[in-house]
Amino acid sequence: MGLIQRTIEASGIATISISLSKDISQKVLPPRAVYSGFPLGHPIGFPGETFRQKQILRMLLKYLKKINSPGTIADLDLTESDDYSVSCDICAFG
Amino acid sequence: MKERSNKFDFREKKDKLIAKLLTKYPSLFRKWVHRSEFIEFSDSPWTQFDSDISKCRLALVTTGGVHLRSQKPFNMKDPAGDPTFREIPADTLPADLTITHNYYDHADADKDVNIVFPIERVQELKQSGEIGDVNYRHFSFMGHIMHHHIKTLMKETAPQIAAALKSDKVDIVILTPA
Repeated sequence: MGLIQRTIEASGIATISISLSKDISQKVLPPRAVYSGFPLGHPIGFPGETFRQKQILRMLLKYLKKINSPGTIADLDLTESDDYSVSCDICAFG
Repeated sequence: MKERSNKFDFREKKDKLIAKLLTKYPSLFRKWVHRSEFIEFSDSPWTQFDSDISKCRLALVTTGGVHLRSQKPFNMKDPAGDPTFREIPADTLPADLTITHNYYDHADADKDVNIVFPIERVQELKQSGEIGDVNYRHFSFMGHIMHHHIKTLMKETAPQIAAALKSDKVDIVILTPA
């Protein structure tokens, strides 16, 4: 997926991705990525958790603005059991 | 022919079992990554972003193997994968989507496609004014792309969707693997 991201970014569109493997991302070097810590098949979270899914998207948009060095992989290490209903400072928009 | 189809059935079962194990056990996935080869780069392309996100048009690109039920499924018979993509209209209902991808366990994504392809969540961000617009189409690949298909991806299909997103005047692309 990093190859696709690199191609889109090179065409002049800003991109950000979820990384499911820091090892892969460190090799392919997408322009901006966030390692969520979630398992394979769950880049945006878990079924039915609409609020957390939206928070993950808000978090990605936050890092889109925040990352200013090409090839940065932000490391969040979230887990399925995190109390996302209260600890949302990572997702604060703006 | 029968023998070939039995062979495919066996490989499909094996791929799905491996996918289940790699999804369930992150340490196995890390071992798999260490044993696999990836194209390596020493730098990244870069497009400066300092726009107001609430005025930006956003599109999604996933490699989760998502497609419309009415579209041709991704090719699971080729062990080297499938470098083609599917265009997904932004107003598609989750019930009209399905996943063809034997290389990760998508049991949870089958229940709620938004966990790999947050098509409803981005509409909600538009409704709340947090983003300016959702592009009228998103794009989907099947992330298992190897050997000679990498060239097709790099030379043909990835540039095609980049050009399409550019002509749609998309400002932000969020990419989700699976």
